[in-house]
Parts: sequence; structure tokens; C-alpha cells
Amino acid sequence: MSASFLFRRLVYGLILMLGVVVLNFLLIRLAPGDPAMVIAGEMGGGDQALLDAIRTQYGLDRPLLTQLGIYLGNVLRGDLGQSYFFNQPVATLIGNRIGPTILLVLSAQVLSILLGVFLGVIAARKPNGALSGFVSVVATVGYAVPVFWTGIMLIILFASVFPIFPVEGMQSVRLRGAGFWVKAVDIAHHLVLPAFTLALIYLAQYARLSRASMLEVLGSDYIRTARAKGASERAVLFKHALRNASLPILTVAGLQFGNLISGALLVETVFNWPGMGRLAFESILRRDYPTILGVLFFASAMVVVANLLTDLSYRLADPRLRGKT
Amino acid sequence: MTEAVDFKPESPAREAWRMFRRNIPALAGVVVLTIIVAATLWGTFFYDGNPYRIVWAPHEAPGMTPDFPLGTDYLGRDIFAGLIAGGGPTLAVGAAAAAITMVIGVSLGALAGFYGGWIDNLLMRITEFFQVLPTLLFAMVLVTLFSPTLTTIALAIGIVSWPQTARLTRAEVMKIKELEYVTAARAIGARNRRIIWTVILPNAAPPLIVSATLTIGVAILFEAGLSFLGLGDPNTMSWGLMIGTNRAYILEAWWPVTFPGLAIFLTVFSVSLIGDGLNDAFNPKLRER
Amino acid sequence: MSALLEIQNLRVTFNTRHGPVTALDSVSLQVNAGETLGVVGESGCGKSITALSVMGLIPSPPGRIAGGAIRLAGEDLTRVSEARMRALRGAEMAMIFQEPMTSLNPVFTVGDQIAEAIMLHQKVGHAQAFRDAVALLDRVGIPSPERRARDYPHQLSGGMRQRVMIAMAVSCRPKVLIADEPTTALDVTVQAQIFDLLNEIQRDFGAAIILITHDMGAISEMADRVAVMYAGRVIEQASADDVLDHPQHPYTRGLISCIPALGKGDTELREIPGVVPPLHMLGAGCAFAERCAHRFDRCDTEKPSLVDHGHHPAACHAVEEGRI
Repeated sequence: MSASFLFRRLVYGLILMLGVVVLNFLLIRLAPGDPAMVIAGEMGGGDQALLDAIRTQYGLDRPLLTQLGIYLGNVLRGDLGQSYFFNQPVATLIGNRIGPTILLVLSAQVLSILLGVFLGVIAARKPNGALSGFVSVVATVGYAVPVFWTGIMLIILFASVFPIFPVEGMQSVRLRGAGFWVKAVDIAHHLVLPAFTLALIYLAQYARLSRASMLEVLGSDYIRTARAKGASERAVLFKHALRNASLPILTVAGLQFGNLISGALLVETVFNWPGMGRLAFESILRRDYPTILGVLFFASAMVVVANLLTDLSYRLADPRLRGKT
Repeated sequence: MTEAVDFKPESPAREAWRMFRRNIPALAGVVVLTIIVAATLWGTFFYDGNPYRIVWAPHEAPGMTPDFPLGTDYLGRDIFAGLIAGGGPTLAVGAAAAAITMVIGVSLGALAGFYGGWIDNLLMRITEFFQVLPTLLFAMVLVTLFSPTLTTIALAIGIVSWPQTARLTRAEVMKIKELEYVTAARAIGARNRRIIWTVILPNAAPPLIVSATLTIGVAILFEAGLSFLGLGDPNTMSWGLMIGTNRAYILEAWWPVTFPGLAIFLTVFSVSLIGDGLNDAFNPKLRER
Repeated sequence: MSALLEIQNLRVTFNTRHGPVTALDSVSLQVNAGETLGVVGESGCGKSITALSVMGLIPSPPGRIAGGAIRLAGEDLTRVSEARMRALRGAEMAMIFQEPMTSLNPVFTVGDQIAEAIMLHQKVGHAQAFRDAVALLDRVGIPSPERRARDYPHQLSGGMRQRVMIAMAVSCRPKVLIADEPTTALDVTVQAQIFDLLNEIQRDFGAAIILITHDMGAISEMADRVAVMYAGRVIEQASADDVLDHPQHPYTRGLISCIPALGKGDTELREIPGVVPPLHMLGAGCAFAERCAHRFDRCDTEKPSLVDHGHHPAACHAVEEGRI
């Protein structure tokens, strides 16, 4: 892997983030009404002192470019503004909420890829078999179900019929003082339903994609070579074929990450998961714009990082790309 | 087959229609979607109910009272009336948002693919930028900033959804512009705009039609998500809103959230069955997969 | 004493859109240790299906071995279990494919791919197998084999890749080596090198080679004996010299006249007019009749069988009746 490739991807990621900052800035200016009122949110109703303070802080009486400069400077110093509703800096608010979101999104991503690819590989062995049909039906169904509704249906099911998983929150209140492992198990227990709900949409998509991709790879000459060597069917499928079939899966996994965050927003709201999505929902109800835009900034940053990681892993998985810039 | 053999090749559209007609899941999708659309358009003529008014005791279970076949919600409002009234805005916003998505996506994609060079470069960077923004979150921000009406919601969904369409269009246009009939059109001196409209886009139509169908499904889910979060137009009933407002009481009554969810699912499911059917009809070779 | 590999009356059918078709029809071949059998014919004549049948790699479904026997050192491969087949593949018999560009897995190093073949059949660890792989690369004439073993296929030229394929195929010293058009995808100078290498390998390891080709030139360089195939049948079989000097079947004569005569300034490549008929279109008569200059009424009604009509076995009515 060439260092210059890594460097260029990093710079490009930073430029994209700069774009997000400028977009945030523009959104507040483009919104109807006085920007100071917008920033103050619901609290700005009649509080003239607060509005004046905001005008001075953001230089709202100065030219637009100067305002952008001030805004950029603030962001660079890690200052994403102040939430007047929560009465806390936005960066602090998000800092407290980003962990649970990353946990949820990554678990769902891993779960959907592992299960989906496994199903897809098995289905590819018999392209016209029952499992193949099942996978394609589930993929169409999974695509059509609103994720928040799946969550609610699971809550109804697991709250009343099979009460084996907690349906709300991330931690049990009674375990406040417990040790690390007890807490970890408790969080994992709470994670099951939200992660599964979120994974469900993508699981079937990965299954369908990896089935198609495997079918294509299984017809190639090097698979015949592997069989001619005397490799077992399992080695042919999971070593020779899957490694090649995983390349398009990686691409899609990278592209899906943004949608996964959008889905997490809804899932967090349904399951009261204390993450950024829930924060976004709460702050939108309160018209707390600095917080909303902060969440937009951080969520975009997560997508940029995910894209970067996808690019890198793609190069690791496909030796033909290494050394190219 | 009649005895007189006709050697005239079938037009692609006719052939696609013939394939589509034999695709039973896709036809089922057409039937279900037609029923849903008809119910939202003319349902009020046959079923007289006000979705906003409190008409009965709260949480009446479905099937208990013949007047309210799907029961009532936490306030005692008629759920069936809500389904009929809520379908219109959901479908309208979905269709409008899909149209906006296609207009933005196809224009930018066609420009980028046809002209290449710096135009392509610039448009693709813009596309990548929009793909970095998590769609639902960005749409939420837009809707809150510009006050939620059906128009702003459709616009917001369109603005966040176009990048994929643009990429698809660009790829198709780049493929088609290398083909011989484009060179032929150039040779007779056709202008670029004319070539794009009369030669390239009609030939790129099949994948774009499929993509448009699937975009409608995504847009409906999007609208449902926004109204579920309470970001829909506050003055209109919608399926997502029904789920959102009844969410707090799901452990007491399952039906007020279940039926609107089923309605969303059935709509999107039939749309995507139609999309899959069109895809198979346009690409008969892929069916063997 | 029977031959090392003996194919008897092999019949292979495929289920297609046009119904079941017979891809191989009573094919009988044998090859002894240290001998090279050339199987020659145009594409679609059943050469590759024969090779894949021996390896047990006929895609099934739609393909199926419907009759006959394939005996390797007396063991009938059409009757053994899949596990036994896996143990034989790569160890007792190995195959080199036509397309060196696509026959190697792009995501593994060539050293690892050879080492895998070794580890599948010998009880050695990866380190030892990799050292053996490097030695094999050296043996097949790849310069700086230590470094090349760590290369990926895309970093090697076509000729190098085919050498890698050969190294992989001979890694377990197979008794039978099937080479399916091993040089078709390579340029002419490299072709000669690969043939030399195959000859050397045969001398060293004593393997039987089945060389599948459409090129009579390759046959004259490599083969001891020749079987000519057309539309799923063997239509002529004899020693290489006999076939080249006294071809009997009109199809064989056609193939030989296609060899470009070097040095005569004759750059025009002659071809047999017409194509091999699709297998589902085969009628009652001789499959070659459509393209044959010696066709007469018997050719359309009766399939000729492979019988010695004086010189060596050929399946042709015209030869039988002394018309040519």
C-alpha cells in the first residue's frame, strides 16, 4: 500500500468534511428568519440578551465570508456551538452519545455481513434451490419493511410473548455499580434487538449480492483449477471463491454505511438507544439547530472514515490494486 | 404460434411487455398497488369516516365493532379511516420525491457522462459529497429548517436521494455514447443536446425506468420515516404519523401501529415487485441467474 | 498388460434447452506411462469434455457420464466416490488449462497456490510446501523463483503463468498429465518453450501426457499417438507418424492441410469449409458429411464406425469403400 495513496485519500476526506462544515454554515443562513433566532432555537423567543450574545459570538453583523471564517475557526477548535436547550456545548453532548451509535452501527454491519454472506454463499451452491428462492424473497421483503416498524413489531413480540431480551435502553438501571464484565454482558443483551432490527434490512441485500457475486466467481477458470488440484468443496467455496466474491460486497458495505446511520437514527428512537440518532430526534423536536448540525457533522465524519477504511480494505483484498495510486 | 411465420423482429418494448406479462409476482404487485391507489383516491366514497375525529372508545380491538373494522387508536379515532386518508399524502410525496430524484439525477448524470472531462469531474465530486451526508438525517435537517409541508418534504427527499441515480445515468450514458449510432448521429451533424435527448436517453431508458420504480419505494419509506419522527406535514394524516403517534401504547394495543405498517410494507413491496419484474423484462439474459 | 489410463466406450450427455444431447459417444482412448497421446479436433468436438471427464470435473448438472469406463491403473474413475476422486485429482492426475491468464486465482500468490496443491496431497506444513513450490518454479524455468513465488498472477506474463500452471500440475508427480490447449493463448516463441518444458517434465517424471489441441503442428512436435475427434466421436486413431503421413479420414486430411507450410511463402491459411454441427442437430448419418467433399448417399443414413480399413482405424464410409 503506497503512502501517497493513503495521504491523498486522507486529504480528500478532509476536503469533504470541510464541505460539510460550509454546508452547515449555509443551512443556517438559508433558513427563513434571523440566523440568531435559528441558532438560539426555541430559547430565542424573547430573550434579547441571548440573541445579542449569539450575534457577537458568530459575528452575524459582519460580512458573510467573515462569518464563515469565524465558523470554520470555531469548528477547527472543536467548538461546534452551544446547545441552548441542553445548555451544554454541542461537542460534549455528541461525545457522550457517539459511542452507543458506533456500537450499534458496527454490530449491525458485522451481523448483516456475516449472516448475509453466509446465506448467499450457501444459496450460490444451488442457484435454483429452495434457499436461493428464500433469499431473494427475504431480500425483497427486507427492502420493503420500514425499519422503525420492524423494531416496534419486535418490541411487541419480545415484550409480551418472549420476554428474553430487553426492549428499551442500553443498560439496566439496577446494575449501576456492577463490574466491567457484568456491564458488558448487560449492554450486549440490550444490543440484540436494535442491532438485529437494523441488520435485517441489509442482511438480505448482502445475501442476494453475495449469491450473485459467488455465482459469477464460481464459473471462472481458477475455480476449475482449484478443483483440479483436489481442493475440497468447502475450500473451493470459502477460500478460493469467497475471497474474490467479497470485492463487490466490500464496495457495497462501504456505500451502505451512510444508509446504516440513517437507519440507526430510527432504530435508536424506537428502542430508546442513547445514541446520536436519539439526540438528533430530541433536538429536532426542540428546534435545537446547533445540536442537529453537530450530529450531521459527526455522522458525515463517520461516513468519510468508513469510506476511507473501505478503500484501504479493498486494496488489501485485491492485490491487483496494490501499488496503484 | 400461427402457421404464417412472421420474421419481423419484435420491438424491445413489446418483448419486455411480453416478458412482464408472464411474471406473476410483478403482476401481483400491479394488482395490489392498483387496489391501494384506488382505495386512497376513492375510498372515501365507499367508506365514510373522519380520520381526525374521536368517534369511539380508545383502543377498540379490530373486528369487535362492525363500524370500525380495524379498531380505534389511543384517542378513539377510526384506524381504517386513517389508512384511507393517510395513503394519499404518503403516495403523493413518494411519487413527487421520486420524480425530483430522477430529474436531478438524470440531468446531472447525463451531463457528466456525456461531456466527461472537468464537467464530469466536478459533478462527480459533488455527487460524492452528497453521498457522504447520511440521507435521512440531512432530510430531517432540511425539513425542520424549511418548515414541514408536503412540498418541502418531497423536495428534501429528492435532494438527498439523487446521487445513486446520477451515478447510474452517468455509467449508462458513457456506455451508450461510444456506440455506433451515436457516432452516426454526430456524423450527420446533430447537436449535443439533440443527441442526448433523442439518441442517448431513450437507449438508457430501461435501467432508468427500473431505477425510478425502486426510487418510488425508497421515497415512500423515507416519507414514512420522517412522519414517524413527527416531521411530516402536521396538517395531514399519514401512515408514518399513525405509527409515530400510537407508538407509546404498543404494549396495550398492537393494532394501531400494525395496520399502517402493513400498508407501507404492502405498497413498497408491490412497487419493488414491479421494479424487479421490469428489470427481468428488460434483461431477459439475467433471468437465468 | 492394460494401459495406464484407459477410456472405454465413454458416453457423456448434457441436458440443454434443446433436450438431452450426447457430447461424447463411445469414446475409447488409452495412454501408457511416458507416452504422449495427442487428441486433436476443432473446438466443440469433445476434446475438452473428454479431459474434464477424466478429471471428474464435468459440470453436473447439466452434464452426466452416461456410460463406459475410465480406468486409471485399473481403478474405474466413473465409479469411485467424490472423496476418492479428490484424492486422485492433483495427485495421480493433473491438468493444465488453456487460459493461463484466468486459470490462476488473482488474490493468492503463485507460490501459495502451488503450495496448496502440495499440502492437499502430502503431509507437509506450509513452510516446507512453499520451499517445494519455489524449487518447482525453478524447475519450470522461472528466473529468481524465490521472489516470483511471492508475486500475484497479474504480475507475471502469460508464458510465466503457464509455467506456474505446469509447476502446480506436476507438484505431486502425477501419473497422468492432461494439457488442454496449453499454448493456444501464448505467442509462438513461448509455445515452443512450453512444449520443450512438457517434454522435459515427461522425461524426468515419466508421466503420461494427454495433449489436447486443434493444431496439427503441435501434434507433430509432441505426440507419440494421435486420436482425431469430431462431434463427440473418435474418427481416426493411430501413431502420430501414421496419421501425419497417411491421414485416412477426410477431416484429418483437412486438418493437416491447414498446417501453414513455413518457408514456402505460402501465408494463406487454408481452412476446412463449414463448422462443427451443434450437438443437438446431429442426424442419423456421418456428422462430417455436410462439410465433406467425398460425401455419398450412405453418409447420410449410417454412422460410420471406427474400423481399420487397411492402414489404421478411421470412421469413414468413403475410406471403407475405397473411394479415397
